[in-house]
Order: sequence, then structure tokens, then C-alpha cells
Amino acid sequence: MPAPRCPPRRGPLPSSAPTRSPHLRQCALSAEYQLALQQLTDSALPTGAFAHSLGFESYIERELVGDEGSFGSWLHAFIAQQLTYSDGLAVRFLYEGVELGFLDSVLSAQLLAREVREASLKMGGRLLEIGGEVFPSAELEAYRGLVRAGLAGGHQPLAFGVIARSLGVPFEAALSAYLFATLTSLTQNAVRAIPLGQNAGQRVLRQAHDAVAAAVDDVAQLCWDDFGAVSPGLEISQMRHERQRARMFMS
Amino acid sequence: MPNSTLASSEGEVRGRLELGISVRGGRSVGSRQFHEGALRVLRPHYLDASGQVCYVMVNPGGAYLGADLFVIDVEVEAGADLLLTTQSATKVYRTPGSFAEQRMTIKLGEGSRLELMPDQLIAYREASYQQNSRIRLHPTSSLVMAEVITPGWSPDGAVFKYLEVRLRNEIWIEGTNGAKLLALDNLLIRPPANNVTGMGFMEGFSHLGSVVVVDPRVDQSLADELDQIAKDFNAYTGVSLTGTLAGSPGLVLRSLSNSTEELNNLLGACTGVLRERWYGQAPLNLRKY
Repeated sequence: MPAPRCPPRRGPLPSSAPTRSPHLRQCALSAEYQLALQQLTDSALPTGAFAHSLGFESYIERELVGDEGSFGSWLHAFIAQQLTYSDGLAVRFLYEGVELGFLDSVLSAQLLAREVREASLKMGGRLLEIGGEVFPSAELEAYRGLVRAGLAGGHQPLAFGVIARSLGVPFEAALSAYLFATLTSLTQNAVRAIPLGQNAGQRVLRQAHDAVAAAVDDVAQLCWDDFGAVSPGLEISQMRHERQRARMFMS
Repeated sequence: MPNSTLASSEGEVRGRLELGISVRGGRSVGSRQFHEGALRVLRPHYLDASGQVCYVMVNPGGAYLGADLFVIDVEVEAGADLLLTTQSATKVYRTPGSFAEQRMTIKLGEGSRLELMPDQLIAYREASYQQNSRIRLHPTSSLVMAEVITPGWSPDGAVFKYLEVRLRNEIWIEGTNGAKLLALDNLLIRPPANNVTGMGFMEGFSHLGSVVVVDPRVDQSLADELDQIAKDFNAYTGVSLTGTLAGSPGLVLRSLSNSTEELNNLLGACTGVLRERWYGQAPLNLRKY
């Protein structure tokens, strides 16, 4: 029998989320945010994601990741652990209205592997900048203000969440899109680094669809104490990457 | 703000310990002490001439069982120096339908020091355990903590028969506008829910060790040095720095291995470097047997 867990946090959905709207209105709205969400999650969005392996390059060096199957295994561990417990929960708590500056500080505190913390801040900074030009909103400006004032770091999942929420993207759609975009960038990086064939990369991504759905379910079930829980193996590999000699990636 | 960890348990308090340490006549002494239930401390002793006082926590029941709640509250006052350890391993047995929990609150005053060196945690078959520690440091204080998690023996010889182990440490640094969170070290191992043995989780290892150091003297060269030391051990280890708050950075070492002894030796070598360099003390040698 599983140990009792703390109950899922319940928070009000933001008033801008169109989930309560009548069907027709929802269709019109979803069409409105659909293109914006595609642009936001396109791997061509210049956040610098091409420069980060978030630890899988350590597994390549140890020869534990070297083909389609082994990279797929790593990707599944990564989404079920770090992306769920850190980024995914960050997006959920943001949508539930937990104070942004506080969430930002908890993310900085829980990303203990320095390169991964810096990656989140670097890509988050780019996303805040791009968002300010193409999807400006009062909420985004407020987050950018906190970062400029040194009161927040500016993390990628929070920058994404603020923009997606301001565009009226419902939580689950936003989270799925964020998770899959992250997997897409990582897979493209693996295609170059391992290397894998382009079609192999697409097969890995297709097989990750269920993992994305499972992660969205898990994120909804977890509670505050789960935020930032790490898998020791992923974390150690991310830490070791700092001292890896031959490397293509910054993390 | 979301619910604090410290307000969320249903277990009854099986043991409570409160300890206050301050400086008297050039050495650290217990100035406040309270215990009830299944937790107490042995008579304090001094392992060397540094003035650091050593307290050993004892759980006379010997084990943590379902719904047991242990509450520990430690304050090391300005300039005081405490080594806090345990008499033996913390053993968590079956906790059917529930979990055992330890909640620890630690406050470190100006220029104070805590070395928190418990014996390993052993989680047996069908055990669920949560350990929540909230540590609040003055920016001039110094914290070194080391922990090892060991899977207990199960009748079929398999490891990872426990249900859940969660070790969650919040480290806060006091500043001019209240305390800020420096590090959230949140380890969660749920063998039934994930395949924890393989790549991306325990990487084929069974034992896990951690060292956390928060001290104004922590820097990148220290992290690199501990990483070098770790290479001499049969373990898979990573070392990294946290951010810095109020001039106080943190360092985290995480290591996987298949042996408690190997991890204890590795953790002892790393904390030994800090004892020698920062305090002129010999490596820790706790004879408890």
C-alpha cells in the first residue's frame, strides 16, 4: 500500500483561463492561443536550448547513452523525474497563483547542480526578453521587473508559464506543450551529439507522447513537499558534467 | 505561501528533544535541554581541545515504526560549536498504512558551527519514512551535514523493498529582510512508483550518501578538491555549488555506492578536510561500538 500523501493542492484557476467558457467561445480562444503556443514552443525559438544537454552528455561519456534505445530510456527518466518534480510543478504552482517571486527563489534553491540552475536562468532570461517583444503583458512585465531588480532569477518554466497564462492557454495544454518542447530540444541535441538519425529522433519523440501525458497526470497529483525532489543519478550526472573534459554542451 | 512541511503530520509524538548550546568559559555547553518519550541524549563529551561539544542522540526504542513522529529542535547560539550525532543507525521497519517521520528544526547563531553527522538510515521492507529538516543560519555560521541511506535486508535478499524514503532539507540564510532559501535538498525515493534501480535514478547502486556544507569559506576550488578526493572511492559522485546568499554559499556532494562503509569513508574524508583546514581538528572518529 502506498504511503499516505499530502493532498493535491487546490487553487483557483486564473480568471483568464478559458476552461469554463462555452464550447464555441473556447474554440475561438484556443484558435487564438494556438499559433502563439506553437511559436513559443518551436525549437527555433532562440532561447539557446541547443547548447544544453541537462546532463545526458555525461551518460554519453560513460557510454551508457549511445543509441536510440538508450537515449529514449534517459529521456523517460528525465521527464518522469526532473521535468515532473521541478519544471512541471513550477508551472502548476504558478497557475494556481503561488507568488511568483517565491516560486522563483525555490527553483533557484532546488536546482543544486550548478549548470542546470544556470541553464534554467539563461534560457529563462532569453524567454523573458523574447516574450517582452512578441507577447507583452502586465504579468510578464512584472516578472521582468522582479528580475531587473534582482528580486528573482528568471527561470525558464516560470517565464514560459507566465507567458502561456497571459495568452489564455489552459494549464494542461501549457504544461504538455512545455514538456514536449523540452524533450524536442533535448532530442535534437542528442541527434547531433550521439549522433542519431533524424528519423530515429522522431521515433524517440513519438514514443515520448505517453510519458508527457503521464507527467501531466503526475504533476496534478503531487504536493508541495514533492517540489524539487531529485533523482540522485540524474543530479550526480549533471554535477559531474561541470568537470567533463570533452563536451559539446554547457550543461 | 504553500503549507509548510512542518505543519502536516498526523503521527503522534513518540519522542521529542530540545537542545540549546552556548559558550561558557571558552567552550560550548548545553545550556538548555529537554527530552520526552523515545528520544534522549547521552552525557555530552569533548573529543578534542577545540571546545566543540559532542552530543549523541539515542532512540531507546531502537527503531522507527508506523506513525511515529520524532521532533528535534536544536539551537546553537552565537559562537558555539556543536557536533551532533547518533548512537546507532536509524532503522525504519514496516510502517503499514502510515509513515514514520522526523522533524528537525535547527537554528545557528552568529559565528556558530554545527556538524550534523548521524549514522546511516536503514529502511527495511515496507517502510515509509519522511525526514524534514529546516535549518536557519546566520550568514557567518557554518554547517556541515552528512547522511547515508541504506536499504535494509529483506527475506528474499532484494534491495529497495521499502516504500518511500524522503529526506527534505530546507536551508535558510538570515538577511536584512528576513531569511531566504539558499538550498532545498529534496531526496525522494519511491521504489514501487518508479524503477529506481536503473539509469537516471540509482544507476545500479543501492546506497546513497550526501554532504551539505554551508559556510562563507565554501568556494569552487573546495568543490573541485572534494571531487578529486571522491575519485579515490568506489562510488559515483558529483559535487556542485549552490547559489550565494548574504555572502554564504553552499556545497552539495552526492554519491552512490553499494556499501555503507565506502560511503562513510568518502563522507568522512571530505568532512575531515574541512575539520582540519578550518578548525585544526583531526578527522572524526566516533567510537560507538
